[in-house]
Amino acid sequence: MAENSIIAQNISPDTLSTQYVKPESCVFAQNKNGFLTATIDGKEYKRVILTRTLPLNFPDDYICISDIEKNELGIIEHKSDFPKEQQELIDIELMQRYYCPVITKIVSVKDKMGNFYFDVLIGEFKKSFTVKDISRSIRQMGKSVYITDIDGNRFKIENYEKIPSKSRRRIEPYLY
Amino acid sequence: MQVKVSFDLDRSGELCNGTLLFDGEKITASVGENLISSCVPGDGDELVVRTYSGCGMLEVVPENASADMAESIPVCRFSMSKVSEVGEFTKVVNHKLRTGEESEISTKDFRVCPKCGRHYAKGLDVCLFCVEKSFLAKRLLKIAKPYAGQFLFASLLVLCATGFGVMLPIINSRLVDNCLTPEAVKQEGIINTIIRYIVILGATQIMGQIFKMFSQRRANRISTSLSNNLRREVYDHVQRLSVSSMSGKTAGDLMKRVSRDTETVKNFITEHGMYALEKLVMFIVVFIILVNISPLLTVLVVLPIPFVAYTMRKFWAFIHIRFEKQWRRESRANSILHDIVRGIRVVKSFGSEDREIEKFASVSRQLADISVSNEHLWATTFPFLFFFTGIGEFFVIYVGGRAVLAGTMTIGQLLEFSLFLGYLYQPLMWMSGLPRRLGEVQTSLIKIFEITDETSDVEDRENPVPADLDGDIVFKDVQFGYKSYEPVLRDVNLTVKRGEMIGLVGHSGAGKSTLINLVMRLYDTDIGSITINGNDIKDMAQGDYREKIGVVFQETFLFTGTVYANISYARPDATPGEVIAAAKAANAHEFIMKLPDGYNTIVGENGYNLSGGERQRVSIARAVLRNPEILILDEATSALDPETESLIQDALARLVKGRTTFAIAHRLSTLRNADRLVVIEKGRIAEIGSHRELLMKNGIYAKLVMAQRSTAKLTKN
Repeated sequence: MAENSIIAQNISPDTLSTQYVKPESCVFAQNKNGFLTATIDGKEYKRVILTRTLPLNFPDDYICISDIEKNELGIIEHKSDFPKEQQELIDIELMQRYYCPVITKIVSVKDKMGNFYFDVLIGEFKKSFTVKDISRSIRQMGKSVYITDIDGNRFKIENYEKIPSKSRRRIEPYLY
Repeated sequence: MQVKVSFDLDRSGELCNGTLLFDGEKITASVGENLISSCVPGDGDELVVRTYSGCGMLEVVPENASADMAESIPVCRFSMSKVSEVGEFTKVVNHKLRTGEESEISTKDFRVCPKCGRHYAKGLDVCLFCVEKSFLAKRLLKIAKPYAGQFLFASLLVLCATGFGVMLPIINSRLVDNCLTPEAVKQEGIINTIIRYIVILGATQIMGQIFKMFSQRRANRISTSLSNNLRREVYDHVQRLSVSSMSGKTAGDLMKRVSRDTETVKNFITEHGMYALEKLVMFIVVFIILVNISPLLTVLVVLPIPFVAYTMRKFWAFIHIRFEKQWRRESRANSILHDIVRGIRVVKSFGSEDREIEKFASVSRQLADISVSNEHLWATTFPFLFFFTGIGEFFVIYVGGRAVLAGTMTIGQLLEFSLFLGYLYQPLMWMSGLPRRLGEVQTSLIKIFEITDETSDVEDRENPVPADLDGDIVFKDVQFGYKSYEPVLRDVNLTVKRGEMIGLVGHSGAGKSTLINLVMRLYDTDIGSITINGNDIKDMAQGDYREKIGVVFQETFLFTGTVYANISYARPDATPGEVIAAAKAANAHEFIMKLPDGYNTIVGENGYNLSGGERQRVSIARAVLRNPEILILDEATSALDPETESLIQDALARLVKGRTTFAIAHRLSTLRNADRLVVIEKGRIAEIGSHRELLMKNGIYAKLVMAQRSTAKLTKN
């Protein structure tokens, strides 16, 4: 009962509203080694890392700022609220934290003994990877498709309706 | 010294072919001729691998770097395909920087196929992409080899049965030509001749059935024995898998390999292996007979076969993809249903039944749509395929009929030809289904070999030393990580006196459980050693060593069986008196006597449901019965009410006496009996001392104690 009453007292109308970092009170910069620094509400942090809270749904919104120990310092609601040069710094940091190359063409998918061998084009670069548990490793979100290989790499098809028809036919059996 | 690995991402995240090199002094990262970074790390510096989403970065952290590590120097970026390589590089370089000793990179985790560049599957020494089919065929033959004699005998029986079976068209043909022609019916004694033919026909059919019966009985015997041996072999390997291998596989996955995959292999060997000889011989013999009767008709029959085989193959490939999609939808619908049923209390408590009904209805609808579409396709195309497969028969009737009318062929011969045609199509149909069956058995074989070929990460040496645990335990420079690139424990140096109780304290994820995993030798240290009485635990046989260790976990697993069997699991040869004494020492005797059948009460998944505290006491009774020299208590008293906890503390106090004990507890008050407390922070020993000494120090332990006190106060208020 005592525990319940504590919880009940703590819930207020503000409980469900997140406090976001305001562009005017948060300034990013890069140190000499290329790591992102931040000054938030006047306090300087010599190295911060950015993590997407909803990387698949909202890659450019709800971005968490934390220190190297992953202690949260604040959340950016919309990247677009920040000045352009600040957005560029955010993009550089996110680019270093997330690697999900976009597949432009699926050259072949071969099923061999329970493993699926993909040969794809990432831009001009030919890449081969292996997918094991295909029903868990291929995830469709709207028109985007995310593929995770056995090493933990991620690949993305931006819009599977817009890739070449041969590529679409090769991936279609694995989408549901 | 030269350590060289590759990396694959440049600074801007583009794929590249980079080389990471340490020459004993300097680290360089380059792509072709272009130098990306270079630095000379000092002795106190450390290389750190940071893993992110789909990629990672190697950094050099200077010795005097601040807590935020802003002074770190980035070396290179890489995708997850290269993380093991870079991790091994890091391990070797860090060891060199720390100790001055040189070591070599272990390629165990990132062996790639020299032909296609793809990683080898874990546990296998072959690339599944490039593997020759003969590799699997050889392995399959190896499994079937012990049964070769029995197989041959069974195949001969099948062959005999078939031999008698194929007499049918021949006798029929003779019957028609000799007895059923207008001239023949006028002959004297024709009825007796017909009866003779019928008797011969009946006798051959009976003989055929007798041989079939014996071959079937033999096949069943082979199949049962093969299945039993195969299942036992896979299960045996599953039991011997190291904890790290086990953690990468789910219980369901392992169960499938032991039961379903072994069954698939068995079915293939018994159903197809045994009949292969029969089908082959039948095809050749029938073909010769057909040519003998009419070469022209045989050509007409054989001509469409390649076309039909090609069409069938294409059709199967097409329909296979559609059915695969249907299976996936079915699997998804099942998984949603399973989820909803398991979480029904949550669903009901949030009043979201309608939402869940709609969710399931939607996937069910999708499944129904594709099922209908596939069935339509099947129903439309299959009759045509069936027609095409037997198209040769039409040629036979037309051309053969004309030959009969022209008098160049008898009716009996035409009948014989038509009947033999069925015997020709039989092996052909069997052969057309073979690739699909081969595909299935290949997948199952690979899954089995992944288990049976896997070498354990924790190996016993050839001549192990006896496990003498009657002495001090010494941790020397211990480093360990579940992944080579993420050390969980570093520089652990600790001496535990014989009979001493050590309380392990620290935040979640600090490395406490990892430390006791190493003590139990579920894993071997990456660097450094753990010695007991001067002997490295790696030199002791695991079975011998673990026999002398007792463990009480937070979650106690009870096997389905009696309470007695669950306690005596620790020592199956214990007498009933010893089991009761152990239960009494664990404060379990009293509650056991209240159970309907006392120590004979069935507990576990399908039995009497014991409470958390009761299960914990059964677990302690197991440990008491084992009488271990080293005792490990992993959160043994968490999540219990105060009264039960006091009963268990009381039992544990008796158990701990005189034994070297490692105890982990988040509730620090439960470690009050510990001789020393070891505080672990971020994988390193941060503080050592008694409760009082550590409080005086006002460090991490003192903060943890204060935090728990304030939580307790808050709860009371």
